[in-house]
Amino acid sequence: MTDQAAPVERSGQSDAPSGSARSHTLIVFANDRHGTLDRIVSVLRRRRAKTQGFTIGRSELPNVVRITIVMDDSEVAVEHLIEQLRKVVDVQQIANLSSERTVARELALIKVNSGESQHSSEIIELGHLFGAHVVDVTTQTVTLEVTGSEEKVEKLVNSLQSYGIREVARTGSVAMTRGEEGI
Amino acid sequence: MNVAATITQQPGEASVHQARQSTETTEARELSGSQILCEALVREGVELLYGYPGGAIMPFYDALTSYPSLHHVLVRHEQAAAHAADGYARATGKVGVCVATSGPGATNLVTGLATAYMDSTPIVAITGQVARPFIGRDAFQETDILGVTLPITKHNFLVLRVEELAETVHEAFRLARSGRPGPVVIDVPKDVQFSKTQYRVSASASSIEHFSASRTPHPSEGTIAEAAQLIARAQRPLIMSGHGVILAKAYAELRAFAEKTNIPVINTLLGLSGFPSTHPLAIGMPGMHGPAHVNHAIGVADLIIGVGLRFDDRVTGKVSEFAPHARIIHIDIDPSEMHKVKRAVVPIVADAREALERLTEVVEPGEHSIWMNEVRSWEAENNERSASIQRNQEYPDPTTILEAIGAETNGDAIIVTDVGQHQMWTARHYTWTRPNSHITSGGLGTMGFSLPAAMGVKMGIPDATVWVVAGDGGIQMNIQELATLRQEGIAVKVAIMNNGYLGMVRQWQHFFHGGNYSETPITGPDYIKLAEAYGLTGMRVTRREEVTAAVRKAMETEGTVIIDFVIESEANVYPMVAPGAAITNMIEEKPEENAGHD
Repeated sequence: MTDQAAPVERSGQSDAPSGSARSHTLIVFANDRHGTLDRIVSVLRRRRAKTQGFTIGRSELPNVVRITIVMDDSEVAVEHLIEQLRKVVDVQQIANLSSERTVARELALIKVNSGESQHSSEIIELGHLFGAHVVDVTTQTVTLEVTGSEEKVEKLVNSLQSYGIREVARTGSVAMTRGEEGI
Repeated sequence: MNVAATITQQPGEASVHQARQSTETTEARELSGSQILCEALVREGVELLYGYPGGAIMPFYDALTSYPSLHHVLVRHEQAAAHAADGYARATGKVGVCVATSGPGATNLVTGLATAYMDSTPIVAITGQVARPFIGRDAFQETDILGVTLPITKHNFLVLRVEELAETVHEAFRLARSGRPGPVVIDVPKDVQFSKTQYRVSASASSIEHFSASRTPHPSEGTIAEAAQLIARAQRPLIMSGHGVILAKAYAELRAFAEKTNIPVINTLLGLSGFPSTHPLAIGMPGMHGPAHVNHAIGVADLIIGVGLRFDDRVTGKVSEFAPHARIIHIDIDPSEMHKVKRAVVPIVADAREALERLTEVVEPGEHSIWMNEVRSWEAENNERSASIQRNQEYPDPTTILEAIGAETNGDAIIVTDVGQHQMWTARHYTWTRPNSHITSGGLGTMGFSLPAAMGVKMGIPDATVWVVAGDGGIQMNIQELATLRQEGIAVKVAIMNNGYLGMVRQWQHFFHGGNYSETPITGPDYIKLAEAYGLTGMRVTRREEVTAAVRKAMETEGTVIIDFVIESEANVYPMVAPGAAITNMIEEKPEENAGHD
């Protein structure tokens, strides 16, 4: 902002009064063109968005990608970020989904040490409690696939810690509004 | 998905249609990428290009000679090409075009692109790129210019198929000039320039619609009515007019609005010449080097109507103490400017011209003579105090130089400034009467901008008198363009305010670094000999009484003339607000300070 501003501060209206930050889920539709992703990430970086998740995939339209950005920030900082993102030429539409009307899910693959055989059945049983599927079994490992809210995935990962987790691959959240209305 | 962006026709598009008629053909022809680039530029109404050839752009330069309506100006450094295109765009409102080769050619454009981006001016840069099979393999003169320019352009393109080239050019031009204007880069690999395809002039320029970037939003009736109510109730209102007024050519609309409401008008640096500084309602420039009465007025104002400005930190100073008693009506074409720095009570997302027109229709006629008299009394106090200070009378001083330029050109010149003390003196002391007569790099503060930009200004408006006012630091940054001026026979008049220092940095060192003049004393060439070496005319002025005669002689002399005005070495720009301080907290000139500098 100015030469004497402390480097950790953000400019103008962007600083959240302490305690006012909350989680926001932004859905961005963008043309799948050369550099689109760079442009969007570049805005997040420049505006120092407090990004917690970033997921990209195809949408229902050809050549349009759907990006889910999860961030913790103040209302005003998010508003400003949305307006900045709108200016990216290839961005077609942005929505800020409010949590009460949103269904958000992520998928995780978890590779766990089974060691002895009784452990593998314990692991599989534990997985079932969370609706997880077994996608791979070896003499040493069990790999589970789980889908659900971030909290649910987090819980399963924590429950499996005692067996020794070799690897966790999480997709980050994708989200959609509930009900008939689209974005 | 509802993508309901409507694209409003821009003023520049009329010329596009005219250009199209002249080359209109329904038959497809087989053309190379280079020829298609030229065809598309002609269709966009381009007449001038500034550039520099090199390996990866050579096919384009080969085709260029077959298109005599495209006048190419060979600059001496690609940075100057970008600034010249920028100057052309600022002066004419049309899209400026610059061309460079890949790698170093393209990276040399970067400062010029960033300058245009910060000040929202429409330019299109065409860069050569290494052939497609070499991209990403660190080929000779390969730079990822898309990646490099991503944060300093409105948009950029890498054209990978010759079939997309024509449409890409048209899209680039539309993006550059629409909505909030800005620079756009088109990167064209060498083999795409060579590739051939069937080229047909299509009926519509482009079918791609953009969500936000190219839209011209219209003011909502609700916000206009709210604004009118606030204006009717205000006791101490101010209009702050920025670059948006000039970009929208909203001079008459601003004037009508100000005159109907009788609200004092402040012009930001880039807003200068958007409203005549001789107008009874004009009170001056705000911010870091604004006169004290303007900053005081902002400090007590109860309403600020900001038109086409972005509340830059040089304007606001410490944001929390900027206009602490004022509610803000903010008119800007870019929705992301709303609430960015100051929360606006009434945000009006619209083109300045349309918003002012609507607002003028709706507002009640106003009367603010008590408020205006109060502001004028502060101004008179400051002027009185300033006049009482003993000053050196021998040296040519900025005010005398600027008054002489104004007088000798009947106020009709276009003034292009560089960056530093002279820029602030010019902003403050020149009398701005001709609309859009002030061209400067405000946002980026690019030294070396003035000389190449003036080249574009003069070529864009050939019958205007163009004066460059620069410091002895900035003028040396793109001094090589004197050769371009000579080769093209472009006549601009150059006033160097030469104090032998990087003056603004020295001033900061004086105030904020204990007078430690680290690396600010600077020497320069003998400007008379330098001008002669380039085949131009040079003069030196060391005494105040010689100023007017020198300016007159420069006006009478054909071609580009450089005047080296040797000014007082350690004069400061007053008043000054320290960075990060409230704008009402100004450093004022003290009588003893000017006692005896040599």
